[in-house]
Amino acid sequence: MRKKKVLFTKNIILSLIASLLLAFSFYCRPREIKVPEPPSDRHQPYNFVGKKGMVVAAHHLAAKAGLEMLKKGGNAIDAAVTTAFALNASEPFASGIAGGGFMVIYLTSEKRITVVDFREKAPSGIPREIFNDEGKIEPNGLAVAVPGALAGWIYSLKKYGTKNLADVTQEAIKIAENGFAVSQTFSRINKDQYEKIITNAGEGTRYLNEGFPYEPGDLFRNPELARTFKLIVSKGIDEFYKGELAQKIVKAVNEKGGVMSLKDLALYEPVEHPPLKGNYKDYTLFSIPPPSSGGLHIIQLLNIIENWPVKKWDPNSPPYIHHFCEALRFVFADRSRYLGDPDFIKIPVEELISKKHAKQIVSQIKPDSLQDSYPFGRFEERENDNGNTSHVCVIDKEGNIVSLTHSINHFFGTGIVPENTGFLLNNIMYDFSDDLSSPNALAPYKRPLSSMSPLIMFKKEKPYLILGSPGGTRIFSSLTQIIINIVDFEMSLDEAIEAPRFFTYSSRGKARSISLESRFPENTIATLKNMGHSIRIREAFDKYFGGAQGILILNDKKVILGGADSRRDGHGEGY
Amino acid sequence: MKKITLAALFLLILLIVVIFAQERKESASPLFEQPLLITSAGQNAEILMASVLAKRAGLDSLLSKIASPKDLENMKTIVLVLGASSKGLGAAGLDLAKEKERVNLLVEEAQKKNVPLLCLHLGGEARRGPLSDELISAFLPFAKMVIVAKSGNKDGFFTRICEKQDIALVEVEKTADVLTPLKDAFK
Repeated sequence: MRKKKVLFTKNIILSLIASLLLAFSFYCRPREIKVPEPPSDRHQPYNFVGKKGMVVAAHHLAAKAGLEMLKKGGNAIDAAVTTAFALNASEPFASGIAGGGFMVIYLTSEKRITVVDFREKAPSGIPREIFNDEGKIEPNGLAVAVPGALAGWIYSLKKYGTKNLADVTQEAIKIAENGFAVSQTFSRINKDQYEKIITNAGEGTRYLNEGFPYEPGDLFRNPELARTFKLIVSKGIDEFYKGELAQKIVKAVNEKGGVMSLKDLALYEPVEHPPLKGNYKDYTLFSIPPPSSGGLHIIQLLNIIENWPVKKWDPNSPPYIHHFCEALRFVFADRSRYLGDPDFIKIPVEELISKKHAKQIVSQIKPDSLQDSYPFGRFEERENDNGNTSHVCVIDKEGNIVSLTHSINHFFGTGIVPENTGFLLNNIMYDFSDDLSSPNALAPYKRPLSSMSPLIMFKKEKPYLILGSPGGTRIFSSLTQIIINIVDFEMSLDEAIEAPRFFTYSSRGKARSISLESRFPENTIATLKNMGHSIRIREAFDKYFGGAQGILILNDKKVILGGADSRRDGHGEGY
Repeated sequence: MKKITLAALFLLILLIVVIFAQERKESASPLFEQPLLITSAGQNAEILMASVLAKRAGLDSLLSKIASPKDLENMKTIVLVLGASSKGLGAAGLDLAKEKERVNLLVEEAQKKNVPLLCLHLGGEARRGPLSDELISAFLPFAKMVIVAKSGNKDGFFTRICEKQDIALVEVEKTADVLTPLKDAFK
């Protein structure tokens, strides 16, 4: 009887232990992240969710390629370079190996931020005047600058990555070989740039579908690009800068009236800088210094805006738009007066990003009317500056971060494709000023002034926001609006990205019109007109204002959010 | 029973003959003659596509982005590529009013000279909107025929104008498909 009782008690205890173990294992199970389905309306704000890592890029195949690299154990730099190659295959009209750009890298183990600058340079034999009276570069070959993208990606990979060139090109080669269905965005840009493509690449180019633009859903393949990537993997980067590919680039450029030499390509090297630092309220921001104006102007704009009660204003309200636009007009005057390649001119960077300079500007801005005249600047938008470039954000499971913006400048660059290579040559020379007295006037080996602004923002010394965008000279305005949407208007990441945007500048002492997305309320537009602003209404979600990608790190919730702009084909992949 | 079968057979033959005759009527009567002047109404990028199509169709054509009445000399057809591009208008230094005036003068001159108008709309849905629709409404009524990439007529905008004005309307899936009806339209 006693034996039975002992056995019974034993069983009870064992069952209890088993139940506790079961409950404990259930508690500790790997939890699925509950992610809502993306909305059917692409413009509806939607945050991608991850716990360990995230990649956000302008094409879903590129973001997937980056995420696969993270899952295979690659770090953020490996994933960023993988995504960059994949973008060359999937979004070839905006970036690629024959372009250039900037990368901000955060190395978590060293708590260090660095900038890799792979901006293109002017060829050594470039004539002093390349712009015609209409602001066009003719002949088209003169618009090609010495490309820096491939050198920059590989420099970063070798110094900060863990994988090799074969690993980071694998997915891009697959995308180029197998192809993908063309999106509405691709098709529309292909149609818009038809004249340039057919004139420079010819009717038989891959960038046209049997001589006509691709329609949405058509298959786009680029086996020549896949072969180029394989050639670079087998022969190394010298193949592009000194080998057969270099010869093809020089031949293609010079056949179109350019002046590039093999020596120009062989001499190209990326450079590494410390980042530019600014503060806004409780946040610290790191971006890129000149030869890009972008990071500097974001810091300037935030320094100015810090002086106004932005939180009390509505993001679509006249006082907010008026004050922001007036700040932009002063910032553009500084851009024209001081900025260019720091290897060629002295730029008072510290003074320009100081709080004192911001206060001087604030003191001149009137609350409800425009200036009679603005500090003199000669910047003018060019008709063909219609939005371009591409941005990638990556964070890995260790917390390493890459914010990468790169470009071939205008959509489809020059439209020139070196023989059987599958890649497009940039037209970055358009970023030089046509004013020979400008600090951004062109010179041999000089880097043209950029507006790219890849950035990382910290909150209480921890990475909080990774952000960047294409969009030409609208980039720094758009990114500042997104930061304010998050910090002051307390929007979610993608809500901040999708929110309506505006832009303006000043030139020759006068205010230029405000470009506004058509979603702004009519009474806001009417009030701005009454204040004296002239208004230009653009599309509801206009890629003129860029296509921002962002990652928000919510440390307290142990969640990473990704936001991708519906103005282009942005997409996020987290895990 | 036999009578009913015969009657049905007769009706079937009649139907086939009518359809066949209709087909022949549509394909065997070219409406236009060469050479042709290609221009746009709206400075769109599709004008180049029209030129490539004309070349592939073996047509004797002249492309002029800002054609004026004097360009009509010796021309037997005008091909007007419809659709406004803000970028194109800006690059040509024109606004919508000036562009309308230019095309208006051209169409008036063509009417005087009995030069028929063939319209093309190749930009699909993306090349619609208030500016484009204003140009389409203004000039399509003067056309003998219009060839439209289907997505540009999703809302039946072209169909309505063509039915009202008795204009031959040909819809195609995409730009490359314009080639056959374009060839057939010319002598």
